[in-house]
Amino acid sequence: MVQYNFKKITVVPTGKDFIDIILSRTQRQTPTVVHKGYAISRIRQFYMRKVKYTQQNFHDKLSTIIEEFPRLDDIHPFYGDLLHVLYNKDHYKLALGQINTARNLIGKIAKDYVKLLKYGDSLYRCKSLKVAALGRMCTVIKRVGPSLAYLEQIRQHMARLPSIDPNTRTILICGYPNVGKSSFINKITRADVDVQPYAFTTKSLFVGHTDYKYLRYQVIDTPGILDRPFEDRNIIEMCSITALAHLRASVLFFLDISGSCGYSVAQQAALFHSIKSLFMNKPLIIVCNKTDLQALEGISEDDMKLVMEMKAEAMKTLIGQGGEPTNDEGVLLTMSTLTEEGVIAVKNAACERLLDQRVELKMKSKKLNDCLNRFHVAMPKPRDQKERPPCIPEAVLEAKAKKAEQAAEKQKKLERDLENENGGAGVYSASLRKHYILANDEWKEDIMPEILDGHNVYDFVDPDILQRLEELEREEGMHQEHEADDFEMDGAELTPEEQEALAEIRKKKRLIVQQHRIKKSTAESRPTVPRKFDKDKQFTSERMGRQLSTLGLDPTLAINRARSKSRGRKRERSIDKGNQNGTDDMDVDGDQPNKKLRLRSRSLSRSRSRSKSRPPYEVVPGEGLKDSAQKKKAIKLAEKSHNKRNKDARKGEADRVIPTLRPKHLFSGKRSTGKTDRR
Amino acid sequence: MRLEKCWFCSSTVYPGHGIQFVRNDAKIFRFCRSKCHKNFKMKRNPRKVKWTKAYRRVHGKDMTQDATFEFERKRNRPERYDRHVAEETLKAIKKIDKVRVDREARHHEKRMKGKKAQVQKEAAKELEQSIHMVKAPAVLQKEPSLTLPKVYQKQTEDRMVE
Repeated sequence: MVQYNFKKITVVPTGKDFIDIILSRTQRQTPTVVHKGYAISRIRQFYMRKVKYTQQNFHDKLSTIIEEFPRLDDIHPFYGDLLHVLYNKDHYKLALGQINTARNLIGKIAKDYVKLLKYGDSLYRCKSLKVAALGRMCTVIKRVGPSLAYLEQIRQHMARLPSIDPNTRTILICGYPNVGKSSFINKITRADVDVQPYAFTTKSLFVGHTDYKYLRYQVIDTPGILDRPFEDRNIIEMCSITALAHLRASVLFFLDISGSCGYSVAQQAALFHSIKSLFMNKPLIIVCNKTDLQALEGISEDDMKLVMEMKAEAMKTLIGQGGEPTNDEGVLLTMSTLTEEGVIAVKNAACERLLDQRVELKMKSKKLNDCLNRFHVAMPKPRDQKERPPCIPEAVLEAKAKKAEQAAEKQKKLERDLENENGGAGVYSASLRKHYILANDEWKEDIMPEILDGHNVYDFVDPDILQRLEELEREEGMHQEHEADDFEMDGAELTPEEQEALAEIRKKKRLIVQQHRIKKSTAESRPTVPRKFDKDKQFTSERMGRQLSTLGLDPTLAINRARSKSRGRKRERSIDKGNQNGTDDMDVDGDQPNKKLRLRSRSLSRSRSRSKSRPPYEVVPGEGLKDSAQKKKAIKLAEKSHNKRNKDARKGEADRVIPTLRPKHLFSGKRSTGKTDRR
Repeated sequence: MRLEKCWFCSSTVYPGHGIQFVRNDAKIFRFCRSKCHKNFKMKRNPRKVKWTKAYRRVHGKDMTQDATFEFERKRNRPERYDRHVAEETLKAIKKIDKVRVDREARHHEKRMKGKKAQVQKEAAKELEQSIHMVKAPAVLQKEPSLTLPKVYQKQTEDRMVE
């Protein structure tokens, strides 16, 4: 309902307050810390956020103001006019327009400064830009300050406007000031309007509610109207005029026939005639008040005439309504609010007239059905006991009977009944297939396989699958023919012996590669020993002989040569040969100065089975010593070097001792970080 | 019930096997076994993993386009059941399979054509170049055939005699 919105408009802050609110919110809700050491993009973002946040807040608040204040053109014309009367439509619109402009300006400012901030190159510059932006926004608001104040005043006044529903049943009370309108409303409603002897006690519209025939009526008390030309009317009078003009209500024109209000009947009649145009299409009742002071019958002739004229006018409205012209009781009434005489009658009459009018209107409009429940259908009282049934022609009866038959036939057997017959819910499962629509009903119970040979059968289903299959097979036939023409030439094949040779070659290659790989992997830890000292006895002459013979060569020459070249053998052979030949060219002793050595070597060469340890002074080739003399010297030196230490009883290399073989700190305990996989 | 294709290796996933993964953009990935699933989680591209069908197709090892593939297509429009159509379809599936297998074999043959000649050429070359590993050059001069030499037997008896 429109009227309630006026109370719910948010408070419009003054310019200064507005600025304070927004700026303090920006201060609180956006990050506050920034240093010049931050990345420039971060600084920019910081300040841009502040500017945008401020603009957003201004925008929001100004938008709420603009939206909450009612637009005079959108609300009920009664309110529109009322607001116009009270606060000048133009001023109002201007104020709101200014607020709107302010909002747009602020938006533009923010946009411009954000664009500038994007290129700010230092903290100081960004900060200055932000300060400028916020400053400009605040200036805009300051300029708009007066409009804000004006709107705040309007808002406060609007909140206090009476909540009048322009569409419901209304009774309007009008007349000269001091004729007793407010007393009347006080009497019939619970409103408590000021009643004072001076004129214009009531300065604005007041609303009260009263009941009649279980319906609620709102009664509007207006300020008094003076008889003046339209342009001269002040705001207060304009209120009542507006009410009269826009509200579809029954009008009670109050007449003070005693003249105690200060105005004569003639003046009041003049007023009546001047505003009677406003009474168009409204049920009008002329109420003569203050009959306790002066009864209606007792007034002067002229006054009576005037009153009758007014009554005639009122009658015209009655006729215009379409009511009975005979009943003129409801047009001119008398009452006294002081003695409460006729007050209720007046109220009833007013309500009745209004109700009639509204009912008429509703009947003419399409909303008849809404009111249908308020109608009363009269049943005729039976005259006598004769039966008078409705008369139905024969044909109709027959048709009805046939229809009933068909309906009984079509009584379907429900699935539920079927289920119950065949054993209930757990036992019987309905055959969902029986309603299938197929070309042949025999197919209803067919089970179609879904999977075949690793394919989904449904993927192959195609109405023209046969045709395509035929094409495919034709193609296939053609391909096969062409295929028969292709042959593979069998090139030069290797003979079996050649294949053997190839196999051998490949085996050898593989072995070489394998050995190389082993050597490569152990290269770091394997000592590089010259071929003379082969532990595995790879380089024997027998082996060489075998390999050569597999290659197809005669190895004897090579073996002989190898043997002749080897040292041990060489010595033996030369001695023999020397004995045999008897030449003294070979100086046996010259080569071997030491007799012992010579004998030893002979024994060595002869008997291999007896293993003998080397004497310490024998030079082992590969040690790095020239001859046994040198070696002896070396041994002596070594012994000398540890005599002193032995004398001093110092621990030597042989005295190494491990005090604890398995110290606890190495073999137990968890680690603080890491794993204990190895110890 | 449907047989799906594994997203990684393109083999059929039978009901009750494998894992389905639904991504946040609602794309469904089906895997036939945990091997494929784990490979997927490792973000491996099936086109680079040798044993998948995707690799084989991309690298031309298996045939890619063929009329037989057109027969098997997921049609989303339901068809009214017709017994004759069903019978024909079932028979056709078998025939189509046969045709497809034949075509694949032919593709493979075409791919392997010429391999034999190449292999023989290479073998001959290798034999010629490396014959020295099994036959001494001296022996080769005497007997120029590319075969294994006769292993030299030591004539000890002869020597003794001598």
